[in-house]
Amino acid sequence: MTGSLRGRTAVVGIGQTPLYKRGTAPDPEMKLCLRAIVAACEDAGIPPRDVDGFVSYGSERNEGQKLMPALGTRELRFGALIWGHGGGIPGALGLAASAVVTGQAEVVAVYRSLAEQSGARLRVAVAQDDTAAQYLVNGVDGPVQICSLRTQRMLEADGVPRSTMFALAQAAYHHAQRNPQAAAYGKPFDAGVYEQSRFVSEPYRLYDCSRENDGAVAVIVTSAERAADLVDRPAYILSAPTGAAGGWGPLEENHRPYASSGFEAVARRLWAESGYGPGDVDVAQIYENATGMGVGAILDHGFCTAEEAGGLLTFENLIAPYGRLPVNTSGGNLAEGFVHGMSLVTEAVRQIRGTSVNQVPGAQLSLMTGGPGDSVVSSALLGSGATR
Amino acid sequence: MNHNSPRPIAGGIAADGLYWDALEAGEFRLPRCAGCGRWTWPAHWRCGECGSWDFDWTALQPKGVVYSWTRTWYAFDRTRERAGDVPYVVVLVEIDGADGARVMGVLAGDEAALKIGAPVAGTILAPSQKAKGYPSIVWSVQ
Ligand SMILES: [Zn+2]
Repeated sequence: MTGSLRGRTAVVGIGQTPLYKRGTAPDPEMKLCLRAIVAACEDAGIPPRDVDGFVSYGSERNEGQKLMPALGTRELRFGALIWGHGGGIPGALGLAASAVVTGQAEVVAVYRSLAEQSGARLRVAVAQDDTAAQYLVNGVDGPVQICSLRTQRMLEADGVPRSTMFALAQAAYHHAQRNPQAAAYGKPFDAGVYEQSRFVSEPYRLYDCSRENDGAVAVIVTSAERAADLVDRPAYILSAPTGAAGGWGPLEENHRPYASSGFEAVARRLWAESGYGPGDVDVAQIYENATGMGVGAILDHGFCTAEEAGGLLTFENLIAPYGRLPVNTSGGNLAEGFVHGMSLVTEAVRQIRGTSVNQVPGAQLSLMTGGPGDSVVSSALLGSGATR
Repeated sequence: MNHNSPRPIAGGIAADGLYWDALEAGEFRLPRCAGCGRWTWPAHWRCGECGSWDFDWTALQPKGVVYSWTRTWYAFDRTRERAGDVPYVVVLVEIDGADGARVMGVLAGDEAALKIGAPVAGTILAPSQKAKGYPSIVWSVQ
Protein backbone atom coordinates (compact mmCIF):
# COMPACT_ATOMS: atom_id res chain seq x y z
CA MET A 1 0.00 0.00 0.00
CA THR A 2 1.47 3.37 -0.98
CA GLY A 3 2.06 5.56 2.02
CA SER A 4 1.50 2.79 4.52
CA LEU A 5 3.77 2.55 7.56
CA ARG A 6 3.10 -1.17 7.79
CA GLY A 7 6.22 -3.08 8.84
CA ARG A 8 8.64 -0.37 7.73
CA THR A 9 9.90 0.41 11.23
CA ALA A 10 10.44 -1.53 14.42
CA VAL A 11 11.03 -1.13 18.13
CA VAL A 12 14.60 -2.29 18.70
CA GLY A 13 15.25 -1.19 22.26
CA ILE A 14 13.28 -0.94 25.48
CA GLY A 15 14.30 0.64 28.77
CA GLN A 16 12.65 1.54 32.00
CA THR A 17 13.56 2.62 35.47
CA PRO A 18 12.03 0.90 38.47
CA LEU A 19 8.49 2.17 39.01
CA TYR A 20 8.65 3.89 42.39
CA LYS A 21 5.80 4.68 44.72
CA ARG A 22 4.66 8.19 43.94
CA GLY A 23 6.93 10.83 45.37
CA THR A 24 9.74 8.41 46.30
CA ALA A 25 11.97 8.31 43.21
CA PRO A 26 15.63 8.80 44.16
CA ASP A 27 16.24 10.90 41.06
CA PRO A 28 14.52 13.91 39.55
CA GLU A 29 12.27 13.37 36.59
CA MET A 30 14.74 14.37 33.87
CA LYS A 31 17.38 12.02 35.22
CA LEU A 32 14.86 9.18 35.22
CA CYS A 33 14.00 10.09 31.65
CA LEU A 34 17.68 9.94 30.64
CA ARG A 35 18.15 6.61 32.41
CA ALA A 36 15.24 5.08 30.51
CA ILE A 37 16.44 6.38 27.13
CA VAL A 38 20.04 5.26 27.76
CA ALA A 39 18.80 1.82 28.87
CA ALA A 40 16.70 1.51 25.71
CA CYS A 41 19.73 2.48 23.58
CA GLU A 42 21.93 -0.10 25.34
CA ASP A 43 19.24 -2.72 24.81
CA ALA A 44 19.23 -1.87 21.10
CA GLY A 45 23.01 -1.66 20.80
CA ILE A 46 22.78 1.95 19.61
CA PRO A 47 24.97 4.72 21.10
CA PRO A 48 22.72 7.28 22.84
CA ARG A 49 24.29 10.04 20.77
CA ASP A 50 22.76 8.47 17.66
CA VAL A 51 19.24 9.28 18.79
CA ASP A 52 18.11 12.08 16.51
CA GLY A 53 14.36 12.07 17.17
CA PHE A 54 12.35 12.56 20.37
CA VAL A 55 8.65 11.82 20.62
CA SER A 56 6.27 11.77 23.54
CA TYR A 57 2.64 12.53 24.37
CA GLY A 58 0.47 14.48 26.76
CA SER A 59 2.25 16.71 29.23
CA GLU A 60 5.78 15.32 28.96
CA ARG A 61 8.10 18.14 29.91
CA ASN A 62 11.50 16.65 29.13
CA GLU A 63 11.78 17.84 25.57
CA GLY A 64 14.53 16.36 23.45
CA GLN A 65 16.46 19.59 23.28
CA LYS A 66 16.83 19.53 27.06
CA LEU A 67 18.32 16.03 26.92
CA MET A 68 20.88 16.66 24.17
CA PRO A 69 23.90 17.59 26.33
CA ALA A 70 23.46 14.47 28.48
CA LEU A 71 23.02 12.15 25.53
CA GLY A 72 25.81 13.69 23.47
CA THR A 73 23.29 14.26 20.70
CA ARG A 74 24.97 15.23 17.44
CA GLU A 75 21.87 16.70 15.86
CA LEU A 76 18.23 16.73 16.85
CA ARG A 77 16.32 16.24 13.62
CA PHE A 78 12.81 15.52 14.83
CA GLY A 79 10.90 16.29 18.01
CA ALA A 80 7.14 16.27 18.59
CA LEU A 81 4.39 15.57 21.06
CA ILE A 82 1.06 13.85 20.39
CA TRP A 83 -1.81 15.93 21.77
CA GLY A 84 -4.07 14.60 24.51
CA HIS A 85 -3.04 12.69 27.61
CA GLY A 86 -2.58 8.93 27.83
CA GLY A 87 -4.58 8.50 24.64
CA GLY A 88 -1.50 9.29 22.58
CA ILE A 89 0.97 6.61 23.61
CA PRO A 90 0.74 4.03 20.84
CA GLY A 91 0.25 6.88 18.40
CA ALA A 92 3.61 8.23 19.51
CA LEU A 93 5.08 5.07 17.98
CA GLY A 94 3.22 5.92 14.78
CA LEU A 95 4.59 9.46 14.82
CA ALA A 96 8.12 8.11 15.32
CA ALA A 97 7.57 5.64 12.46
CA SER A 98 6.34 8.46 10.21
CA ALA A 99 9.51 10.41 10.90
CA VAL A 100 11.73 7.42 10.13
CA VAL A 101 9.88 6.36 6.97
CA THR A 102 9.97 9.89 5.56
CA GLY A 103 13.66 10.31 6.35
CA GLN A 104 13.19 13.03 8.95
CA ALA A 105 15.05 11.03 11.58
CA GLU A 106 16.84 7.69 11.81
CA VAL A 107 16.68 6.72 15.46
CA VAL A 108 13.73 7.99 17.49
CA ALA A 109 13.28 7.70 21.25
CA VAL A 110 9.64 7.46 22.35
CA TYR A 111 9.40 8.03 26.08
CA ARG A 112 7.45 9.18 29.10
CA SER A 113 8.78 10.26 32.45
CA LEU A 114 6.96 11.12 35.63
CA ALA A 115 8.14 12.03 39.12
CA GLU A 116 6.09 13.83 41.70
CA GLN A 117 8.95 15.77 43.29
CA SER A 118 9.83 17.58 40.11
CA GLY A 119 6.48 17.05 38.43
CA ALA A 120 4.47 18.64 41.28
CA ARG A 121 1.52 16.27 41.31
CA LEU A 122 1.30 15.80 37.61
CA ARG A 123 -2.24 14.44 37.83
CA VAL A 124 -3.38 17.83 38.97
CA ALA A 125 -1.09 19.74 36.67
CA VAL A 126 -2.09 17.71 33.64
CA ALA A 127 -5.80 18.19 34.03
CA GLN A 128 -5.79 21.76 35.27
CA ASP A 129 -5.45 23.42 31.93
CA ASP A 130 -8.05 21.54 29.99
CA THR A 131 -10.82 20.72 32.42
CA ALA A 132 -13.86 22.78 31.45
CA ALA A 133 -15.89 24.79 33.96
CA GLN A 134 -18.88 22.48 33.39
CA TYR A 135 -16.97 19.77 35.28
CA LEU A 136 -15.29 21.70 38.07
CA VAL A 137 -18.37 23.77 38.92
CA ASN A 138 -20.38 20.58 39.36
CA GLY A 139 -18.04 18.66 41.65
CA VAL A 140 -16.26 16.72 38.89
CA ASP A 141 -12.51 16.95 39.46
CA GLY A 142 -11.32 15.06 36.43
CA PRO A 143 -10.58 11.70 34.86
CA VAL A 144 -11.84 9.25 37.50
CA GLN A 145 -15.30 10.79 37.79
CA ILE A 146 -15.55 11.36 34.04
CA CYS A 147 -14.69 7.70 33.44
CA SER A 148 -17.31 6.81 36.06
CA LEU A 149 -20.06 8.63 34.17
CA ARG A 150 -19.16 6.88 30.93
CA THR A 151 -18.79 3.45 32.46
CA GLN A 152 -22.06 3.73 34.37
CA ARG A 153 -23.76 4.27 31.01
CA MET A 154 -21.94 1.25 29.54
CA LEU A 155 -23.11 -0.93 32.43
CA GLU A 156 -26.63 0.34 32.94
CA ALA A 157 -27.76 1.23 29.41
CA ASP A 158 -25.63 -1.09 27.26
CA GLY A 159 -25.80 -4.04 29.64
CA VAL A 160 -22.10 -4.85 29.88
CA PRO A 161 -21.78 -6.82 33.12
CA ARG A 162 -19.73 -5.54 36.05
CA SER A 163 -17.95 -8.90 36.13
CA THR A 164 -15.88 -7.72 33.14
CA MET A 165 -14.35 -4.94 35.27
CA PHE A 166 -13.37 -7.32 38.04
CA ALA A 167 -11.98 -9.82 35.52
CA LEU A 168 -9.68 -7.19 34.03
CA ALA A 169 -8.39 -6.24 37.49
CA GLN A 170 -8.03 -9.89 38.52
CA ALA A 171 -6.01 -10.74 35.40
CA ALA A 172 -3.69 -7.77 35.99
CA TYR A 173 -3.05 -8.73 39.63
CA HIS A 174 -2.57 -12.37 38.67
CA HIS A 175 0.08 -11.43 36.10
CA ALA A 176 1.81 -9.11 38.57
CA GLN A 177 2.53 -12.07 40.86
CA ARG A 178 5.18 -13.22 38.38
CA ASN A 179 6.67 -9.75 37.93
CA PRO A 180 8.99 -8.81 40.83
CA GLN A 181 9.06 -5.24 39.50
CA ALA A 182 5.30 -4.86 39.85
CA ALA A 183 3.71 -2.72 42.55
CA ALA A 184 1.28 -5.54 43.35
CA TYR A 185 3.94 -8.28 43.42
CA GLY A 186 3.33 -10.45 46.45
CA LYS A 187 0.01 -8.81 47.20
CA PRO A 188 -2.90 -11.23 47.05
CA PHE A 189 -6.04 -10.11 45.31
CA ASP A 190 -9.42 -11.75 45.04
CA ALA A 191 -13.12 -10.93 44.91
CA GLY A 192 -13.18 -10.28 48.64
CA VAL A 193 -10.37 -7.73 48.52
CA TYR A 194 -12.00 -6.09 45.50
CA GLU A 195 -15.48 -5.87 46.92
CA GLN A 196 -14.32 -4.65 50.30
CA SER A 197 -12.31 -1.82 48.79
CA ARG A 198 -14.00 1.55 49.02
CA PHE A 199 -15.79 3.27 46.21
CA VAL A 200 -13.93 6.19 44.68
CA SER A 201 -16.72 7.23 42.38
CA GLU A 202 -19.37 4.66 41.49
CA PRO A 203 -19.14 2.30 39.72
CA TYR A 204 -15.40 2.45 40.46
CA ARG A 205 -13.74 1.05 43.53
CA LEU A 206 -10.15 1.72 44.53
CA TYR A 207 -8.98 -1.45 42.80
CA ASP A 208 -10.56 -0.38 39.52
CA CYS A 209 -8.33 2.69 39.28
CA SER A 210 -4.70 3.17 38.35
CA ARG A 211 -2.47 5.22 40.61
CA GLU A 212 0.54 7.11 39.30
CA ASN A 213 4.07 5.96 40.00
CA ASP A 214 7.35 7.75 39.62
CA GLY A 215 9.47 6.38 36.82
CA ALA A 216 10.40 6.62 33.18
CA VAL A 217 10.01 4.29 30.22
CA ALA A 218 11.51 4.57 26.74
CA VAL A 219 11.66 2.64 23.49
CA ILE A 220 13.81 3.11 20.39
CA VAL A 221 12.23 3.09 16.92
CA THR A 222 14.26 2.77 13.75
CA SER A 223 13.90 1.47 10.19
CA ALA A 224 13.11 -2.17 9.53
CA GLU A 225 16.40 -2.46 7.59
CA ARG A 226 18.50 -1.23 10.48
CA ALA A 227 16.41 -3.23 12.95
CA ALA A 228 17.30 -6.48 11.25
CA ASP A 229 21.02 -5.76 11.79
CA LEU A 230 20.58 -4.77 15.41
CA VAL A 231 18.42 -7.34 17.15
CA ASP A 232 17.18 -10.89 16.78
CA ARG A 233 13.49 -10.18 17.11
CA PRO A 234 12.49 -6.64 16.19
CA ALA A 235 8.93 -5.70 17.11
CA TYR A 236 7.69 -4.36 13.79
CA ILE A 237 5.18 -1.53 13.89
CA LEU A 238 2.34 -2.75 11.68
CA SER A 239 0.08 0.20 12.37
CA ALA A 240 -0.16 2.88 15.06
CA PRO A 241 -2.90 5.38 14.20
CA THR A 242 -4.03 8.32 16.34
CA GLY A 243 -7.32 10.13 16.06
CA ALA A 244 -10.87 10.96 16.96
CA ALA A 245 -13.98 10.55 14.82
CA GLY A 246 -16.44 13.40 14.38
CA GLY A 247 -18.64 13.41 17.47
CA TRP A 248 -15.62 12.80 19.69
CA GLY A 249 -13.16 15.18 21.34
CA PRO A 250 -13.28 17.55 24.31
CA LEU A 251 -17.08 17.67 24.29
CA GLU A 252 -17.95 17.95 27.98
CA GLU A 253 -19.78 14.59 28.00
CA ASN A 254 -21.64 15.24 24.74
CA HIS A 255 -19.69 12.49 22.95
CA ARG A 256 -21.52 10.30 20.47
CA PRO A 257 -21.43 7.35 20.92
CA TYR A 258 -21.12 8.04 24.64
CA ALA A 259 -20.60 4.61 26.20
CA SER A 260 -17.41 4.12 24.23
CA SER A 261 -13.73 4.56 24.87
CA GLY A 262 -13.41 6.51 21.62
CA PHE A 263 -11.47 3.98 19.52
CA GLU A 264 -13.93 3.04 16.81
CA ALA A 265 -12.31 5.11 14.05
CA VAL A 266 -8.75 4.39 15.18
CA ALA A 267 -9.46 0.65 15.41
CA ARG A 268 -10.90 0.62 11.90
CA ARG A 269 -7.70 2.21 10.57
CA LEU A 270 -5.52 -0.09 12.66
CA TRP A 271 -7.06 -3.23 11.21
CA ALA A 272 -7.13 -1.80 7.67
CA GLU A 273 -3.49 -0.73 7.64
CA SER A 274 -2.15 -3.82 9.38
CA GLY A 275 -4.26 -6.26 7.39
CA TYR A 276 -5.19 -8.11 10.56
CA GLY A 277 -8.28 -8.23 12.74
CA PRO A 278 -9.13 -8.76 16.38
CA GLY A 279 -9.30 -12.53 15.91
CA ASP A 280 -5.61 -12.58 14.93
CA VAL A 281 -4.26 -10.89 18.05
CA ASP A 282 -2.23 -13.12 20.38
CA VAL A 283 -1.86 -10.78 23.33
CA ALA A 284 -2.98 -7.26 24.24
CA GLN A 285 -1.86 -4.51 26.58
CA ILE A 286 -4.99 -2.52 27.38
CA TYR A 287 -4.44 0.89 28.97
CA GLU A 288 -6.78 1.01 31.94
CA ASN A 289 -7.03 4.33 33.73
CA ALA A 290 -10.04 2.54 35.16
CA THR A 291 -11.16 -1.02 34.46
CA GLY A 292 -14.42 -0.21 32.69
CA MET A 293 -12.67 2.08 30.24
CA GLY A 294 -10.32 -0.79 29.36
CA VAL A 295 -13.38 -2.96 28.79
CA GLY A 296 -14.70 -0.24 26.50
CA ALA A 297 -11.42 -0.25 24.56
CA ILE A 298 -11.70 -4.01 24.02
CA LEU A 299 -15.26 -3.55 22.74
CA ASP A 300 -14.26 -0.65 20.50
CA HIS A 301 -11.54 -2.77 18.88
CA GLY A 302 -14.11 -5.35 17.89
CA PHE A 303 -13.11 -8.24 20.13
CA CYS A 304 -16.71 -8.64 21.23
CA THR A 305 -20.03 -6.82 21.40
CA ALA A 306 -21.62 -5.48 24.57
CA GLU A 307 -23.82 -8.58 24.60
CA GLU A 308 -20.81 -10.91 24.30
CA ALA A 309 -18.61 -9.05 26.80
CA GLY A 310 -19.58 -11.12 29.83
CA GLY A 311 -18.65 -14.32 28.01
CA LEU A 312 -15.29 -13.20 26.61
CA LEU A 313 -14.02 -11.03 29.44
CA THR A 314 -13.52 -13.61 32.16
CA PHE A 315 -10.43 -14.23 34.28
CA GLU A 316 -9.66 -17.50 32.48
CA ASN A 317 -9.86 -15.86 29.07
CA LEU A 318 -7.73 -12.87 30.04
CA ILE A 319 -4.68 -14.63 31.46
CA ALA A 320 -1.49 -15.95 29.90
CA PRO A 321 -0.42 -18.33 28.63
CA TYR A 322 -3.54 -19.93 27.18
CA GLY A 323 -6.45 -17.53 27.63
CA ARG A 324 -8.36 -16.46 24.53
CA LEU A 325 -7.11 -12.88 24.94
CA PRO A 326 -4.34 -12.53 27.53
CA VAL A 327 -4.14 -8.88 28.61
CA ASN A 328 -1.79 -6.73 30.67
CA THR A 329 0.73 -9.50 31.10
CA SER A 330 3.18 -7.51 33.24
CA GLY A 331 0.38 -6.38 35.55
CA GLY A 332 -0.67 -3.34 33.54
CA ASN A 333 -1.30 0.12 34.88
CA LEU A 334 -3.32 -1.33 37.76
CA ALA A 335 -0.87 -3.84 39.18
CA GLU A 336 2.56 -3.21 37.64
CA GLY A 337 2.61 0.57 37.88
CA PHE A 338 1.44 3.64 36.06
CA VAL A 339 3.75 5.91 34.11
CA HIS A 340 0.85 7.14 32.02
CA GLY A 341 0.70 3.78 30.31
CA MET A 342 4.17 3.76 28.78
CA SER A 343 5.18 0.50 30.47
CA LEU A 344 2.49 -1.19 28.40
CA VAL A 345 4.56 -0.44 25.30
CA THR A 346 7.65 -2.20 26.64
CA GLU A 347 5.52 -5.20 27.61
CA ALA A 348 3.93 -5.35 24.16
CA VAL A 349 7.48 -5.50 22.73
CA ARG A 350 8.55 -8.21 25.20
CA GLN A 351 5.69 -10.41 24.02
CA ILE A 352 7.03 -10.26 20.45
CA ARG A 353 10.55 -10.97 21.75
CA GLY A 354 9.33 -13.89 23.86
CA THR A 355 10.71 -12.40 27.07
CA SER A 356 7.63 -11.54 29.11
CA VAL A 357 7.32 -12.97 32.63
CA ASN A 358 3.87 -14.09 31.46
CA GLN A 359 4.80 -15.03 27.92
CA VAL A 360 2.12 -16.07 25.46
CA PRO A 361 3.87 -18.90 23.62
CA GLY A 362 4.82 -17.94 20.08
CA ALA A 363 3.09 -14.55 20.17
CA GLN A 364 3.28 -12.99 16.71
CA LEU A 365 0.78 -10.12 17.01
CA SER A 366 0.84 -7.87 20.04
CA LEU A 367 -1.69 -5.07 20.50
CA MET A 368 -1.45 -1.99 22.65
CA THR A 369 -4.38 0.35 23.14
CA GLY A 370 -3.85 3.88 24.49
CA GLY A 371 -5.58 5.88 27.18
CA PRO A 372 -9.29 5.14 26.72
CA GLY A 373 -11.80 7.96 26.64
CA ASP A 374 -9.17 10.62 25.99
CA SER A 375 -10.15 13.34 23.53
CA VAL A 376 -7.86 11.71 20.98
CA VAL A 377 -6.82 8.08 21.26
CA SER A 378 -4.44 5.71 19.52
CA SER A 379 -3.57 2.04 19.20
CA ALA A 380 -0.62 0.08 17.93
CA LEU A 381 -0.23 -3.40 16.52
CA LEU A 382 3.26 -4.89 16.76
CA GLY A 383 4.30 -7.92 14.76
CA SER A 384 7.16 -10.37 14.48
CA GLY A 385 9.22 -11.20 11.40
CA ALA A 386 6.54 -13.78 10.55
CA THR A 387 3.60 -11.39 10.64
CA ARG A 388 5.36 -8.32 9.32
CA MET B 1 -26.19 38.86 24.07
CA ASN B 2 -23.00 39.11 22.15
CA HIS B 3 -20.18 39.05 24.64
CA ASN B 4 -18.49 36.57 26.90
CA SER B 5 -17.77 37.68 30.44
CA PRO B 6 -14.38 36.62 31.74
CA ARG B 7 -14.63 33.57 33.99
CA PRO B 8 -11.83 32.15 36.13
CA ILE B 9 -11.77 28.54 34.90
CA ALA B 10 -9.67 28.46 31.75
CA GLY B 11 -10.22 24.85 30.64
CA GLY B 12 -12.31 23.59 27.77
CA ILE B 13 -13.23 25.55 24.66
CA ALA B 14 -14.27 28.50 26.85
CA ALA B 15 -16.93 29.73 24.42
CA ASP B 16 -19.57 29.21 27.12
CA GLY B 17 -19.43 32.59 28.87
CA LEU B 18 -23.03 33.34 27.92
CA TYR B 19 -24.17 30.05 29.46
CA TRP B 20 -22.90 31.19 32.85
CA ASP B 21 -24.10 34.75 32.33
CA ALA B 22 -27.60 33.45 31.65
CA LEU B 23 -27.57 31.15 34.69
CA GLU B 24 -26.44 34.05 36.82
CA ALA B 25 -29.49 35.94 35.56
CA GLY B 26 -31.67 32.98 36.54
CA GLU B 27 -32.13 31.63 32.99
CA PHE B 28 -31.10 28.38 31.39
CA ARG B 29 -29.95 29.03 27.84
CA LEU B 30 -28.08 26.90 25.31
CA PRO B 31 -26.67 28.08 21.99
CA ARG B 32 -28.45 27.36 18.75
CA CYS B 33 -26.83 28.09 15.39
CA ALA B 34 -28.36 31.24 13.87
CA GLY B 35 -27.74 29.81 10.38
CA CYS B 36 -29.09 26.26 10.50
CA GLY B 37 -30.87 26.05 13.84
CA ARG B 38 -28.73 23.20 15.15
CA TRP B 39 -28.15 23.07 18.90
CA THR B 40 -24.40 23.50 19.20
CA TRP B 41 -23.31 22.30 22.62
CA PRO B 42 -20.80 22.54 24.15
CA ALA B 43 -20.51 26.08 22.85
CA HIS B 44 -17.95 26.77 20.17
CA TRP B 45 -17.03 29.67 17.93
CA ARG B 46 -18.38 28.51 14.55
CA CYS B 47 -21.06 26.07 13.42
CA GLY B 48 -19.22 23.21 11.76
CA GLU B 49 -22.34 22.25 9.79
CA CYS B 50 -23.28 25.50 8.03
CA GLY B 51 -20.33 27.79 8.76
CA SER B 52 -22.25 30.43 10.67
CA TRP B 53 -20.41 32.38 13.35
CA ASP B 54 -23.63 33.49 15.05
CA PHE B 55 -25.60 31.74 17.75
CA ASP B 56 -28.92 32.39 19.41
CA TRP B 57 -28.68 31.65 23.10
CA THR B 58 -32.11 30.12 23.48
CA ALA B 59 -34.01 29.82 26.76
CA LEU B 60 -35.02 26.30 27.77
CA GLN B 61 -36.75 24.72 30.72
CA PRO B 62 -34.13 23.02 32.92
CA LYS B 63 -35.76 19.64 32.39
CA GLY B 64 -34.55 16.37 30.97
CA VAL B 65 -33.64 12.79 31.76
CA VAL B 66 -30.63 11.22 33.47
CA TYR B 67 -28.19 10.15 30.75
CA SER B 68 -25.63 8.88 33.26
CA TRP B 69 -24.60 9.42 36.86
CA THR B 70 -21.89 8.75 39.42
CA ARG B 71 -21.85 8.84 43.21
CA THR B 72 -18.52 10.27 44.38
CA TRP B 73 -17.08 8.95 47.65
CA TYR B 74 -13.78 10.81 47.67
CA ALA B 75 -12.89 14.47 48.15
CA PHE B 76 -10.83 15.13 45.06
CA ASP B 77 -8.10 17.77 45.03
CA ARG B 78 -9.71 20.25 42.70
CA THR B 79 -13.25 19.96 44.04
CA ARG B 80 -12.38 20.23 47.73
CA GLU B 81 -15.22 22.73 48.15
CA ARG B 82 -17.57 19.76 48.17
CA ALA B 83 -15.59 17.60 50.62
CA GLY B 84 -18.30 18.00 53.24
CA ASP B 85 -20.93 16.67 50.82
CA VAL B 86 -19.20 13.34 50.11
CA PRO B 87 -20.81 11.10 49.02
CA TYR B 88 -22.64 13.18 46.45
CA VAL B 89 -24.21 12.29 43.12
CA VAL B 90 -23.42 14.05 39.85
CA VAL B 91 -25.89 13.53 37.03
CA LEU B 92 -25.38 14.04 33.32
CA VAL B 93 -28.72 15.30 32.03
CA GLU B 94 -30.01 15.07 28.48
CA ILE B 95 -32.03 18.26 28.09
CA ASP B 96 -35.56 18.03 26.69
CA GLY B 97 -35.97 19.66 23.29
CA ALA B 98 -32.29 20.39 22.61
CA ASP B 99 -31.34 17.60 20.23
CA GLY B 100 -29.61 15.50 22.86
CA ALA B 101 -27.49 18.25 24.43
CA ARG B 102 -26.28 17.25 27.90
CA VAL B 103 -25.22 19.25 30.92
CA MET B 104 -23.95 18.17 34.33
CA GLY B 105 -25.08 18.99 37.83
CA VAL B 106 -25.23 17.75 41.39
CA LEU B 107 -28.33 15.77 42.38
CA ALA B 108 -30.33 17.06 45.33
CA GLY B 109 -33.01 15.26 47.28
CA ASP B 110 -34.15 11.67 47.11
CA GLU B 111 -31.78 9.28 45.32
CA ALA B 112 -34.05 6.23 45.48
CA ALA B 113 -35.40 6.68 41.97
CA LEU B 114 -32.03 7.60 40.46
CA LYS B 115 -31.40 5.66 37.26
CA ILE B 116 -30.60 6.28 33.63
CA GLY B 117 -33.74 7.58 31.94
CA ALA B 118 -35.25 9.03 35.12
CA PRO B 119 -36.88 12.44 34.51
CA VAL B 120 -35.21 15.31 36.35
CA ALA B 121 -35.83 19.02 36.82
CA GLY B 122 -33.24 21.64 37.67
CA THR B 123 -33.13 24.57 40.04
CA ILE B 124 -30.73 27.39 39.25
CA LEU B 125 -28.50 28.40 42.15
CA ALA B 126 -26.72 31.73 42.54
CA PRO B 127 -22.91 31.72 42.45
CA SER B 128 -21.50 29.89 45.42
CA GLN B 129 -18.20 28.89 46.90
CA LYS B 130 -19.04 25.20 46.33
CA ALA B 131 -19.46 25.95 42.63
CA LYS B 132 -16.20 27.92 42.51
CA GLY B 133 -17.97 31.25 42.31
CA TYR B 134 -20.11 30.15 39.35
CA PRO B 135 -23.88 29.86 39.17
CA SER B 136 -25.03 26.25 38.83
CA ILE B 137 -27.98 23.93 38.38
CA VAL B 138 -28.95 21.28 40.91
CA TRP B 139 -31.21 18.50 39.71
CA SER B 140 -33.84 16.43 41.40
CA VAL B 141 -35.59 13.29 40.25
CA GLN B 142 -39.25 13.95 39.41
ZN1 LIG C 1 -25.23 26.02 11.56
